[in-house]
Amino acid sequence: MKHLRTLGALVATTIVLSSLPEPAFAADPKDKGTMAGMAKKVRVELASSAAFNKNGQLLAVAKQGDHLLLYRSSDQGSNWSPPVIINARPEAISGDGENRPKITFAQDGGVLVSWTKPLSKPNTGEVRLARSDDDGISFGAPITVHRDRQEITHRFETMIVGGDGRVYVAWIDKRDLESAKAAKHPYRGAAIYATVSDDGGRSFKPETKVADHSCECCRIAAAVDTDGAPLILWRHVFEPNERDHALAKLNLDGTPANVERATFDRWKVDGCPHHGPALAVAPDGTRHAVWFNVKDGAGRVFYGRLKSGGIDGQRLIGGEQAARADIAIANQRMAIIWKEFDGEQTLLHAEISEDGGASFKRLALGAASGASDHPRAIAHGKELFAYWRTELEGMRVFRLP
Amino acid sequence: MKRLVLISFLLACVTSAFATGFVALDRKSARTLTDGSTHTAPTIVALWSTDCPYCKKNLGVFTDMVKADASLQLITVAVEPLSAEVATSLDRIRVPGVRYVYGTDAPEAIAYALDPKWRGELPRTLFFDGRGNRVMISGAVDVATTRKSLGLPVQ
Repeated sequence: MKHLRTLGALVATTIVLSSLPEPAFAADPKDKGTMAGMAKKVRVELASSAAFNKNGQLLAVAKQGDHLLLYRSSDQGSNWSPPVIINARPEAISGDGENRPKITFAQDGGVLVSWTKPLSKPNTGEVRLARSDDDGISFGAPITVHRDRQEITHRFETMIVGGDGRVYVAWIDKRDLESAKAAKHPYRGAAIYATVSDDGGRSFKPETKVADHSCECCRIAAAVDTDGAPLILWRHVFEPNERDHALAKLNLDGTPANVERATFDRWKVDGCPHHGPALAVAPDGTRHAVWFNVKDGAGRVFYGRLKSGGIDGQRLIGGEQAARADIAIANQRMAIIWKEFDGEQTLLHAEISEDGGASFKRLALGAASGASDHPRAIAHGKELFAYWRTELEGMRVFRLP
Repeated sequence: MKRLVLISFLLACVTSAFATGFVALDRKSARTLTDGSTHTAPTIVALWSTDCPYCKKNLGVFTDMVKADASLQLITVAVEPLSAEVATSLDRIRVPGVRYVYGTDAPEAIAYALDPKWRGELPRTLFFDGRGNRVMISGAVDVATTRKSLGLPVQ
């Protein structure tokens, strides 16, 4: 009888490729009457980003199939507008937590949305950007921000607007790896490339290399330094195979002013961590970061203040299951948020510091019993928020006291 | 007799599905899959994804080993939903063994059930020696490490 039960269970869980049922993900509950809401049994792809515009409205970007959608909330996430389609022509769009669509604002108020468009070969892509001149009511046709059009990796982009209004986009690029492969030379990891727009994201200069030997598939973090220049932080492959992080400050033309090692956990692995870092700069110039690494045999999330050649105040964030941390600073307040699976559901936590990271108070924000995106920490004026898109609850916003 | 017929039918269903398809994993089946007592022969459970080049390297190593030694079992788990790319990646190098993909259960729940110590890095491989022992390794591995982790003499 035991065997019968086992066989029955096997049959119940066995799905033949050709007869896979439609995924049973519920459409976003907040999408009532919208394109996403009307689609039956369409899997909601959760990767999403959000940012406040100058009027205090929260704009969120998420993908649904081959379209990117823009949602708007005027009440800090309690209600969302029907979505606006960003790319009129459908195209493939990457939509996982490490490679999500992004949204930010040009200095003139233009809404900028970036994403990775996967190409036909595995692990290839182009970095795309669309701009709206009417606060997200409509978008122009997307552009590819790089000149290199080989069908290779240009993926995992990050986008940031510098203090002088220039728009910087950086991404993981495998052109140097491909050249090395063709020449039968060894090459660690991939590379980071960047490009700059001095017309608010309407066009971009030819890209330049920031660094060789980045890790291949972790998100890149970006923040604006106190002098207005962009800082980017990414997982790097230091010799021989240490997957720590590197930090670069970019010049006005996107070239690196300097590249230095940022973390020192020395995780040696020939593998893909799939965990990128997050970075925020305080008004006093201190660079606060959160990241994931395996240290002393355990994979954990860390917080620390990056300085040349070392880290101040490195400590663990959350428990053994803590993951996907993000960080934001508003004025003198700093928020670290992360999610943590407790064996049954995923919990969202925050720590708030009012003293530059010397001490933190901990908050429990919410829970999700289904799938969930990485949470995003958002600063708006003097306020801090957590934005979290979850399978069963939709787009959720938590104001952090 | 009735029971025999039922068993035969179920076996036929399972065999047919395994021959051509994938098994969707949820937290319960993930827990069973990685329970050391369920593996009575040296078994490799390889967690992989389509965007992980090191995973493909590992799958090549395991495929060659299993093809050369019928006493070894290989089970693959794509830690992503089923897609044409998942199937193509395995078919390209003719990876044998039962093929799992993530089903519609929450990915974090499946991952935790597979291996609570695993934090999402890939490749992640669980080696069972068939006597109840389990070793977990993240990253690319070679034949010697695989044999040692399976409790086999290193040749």
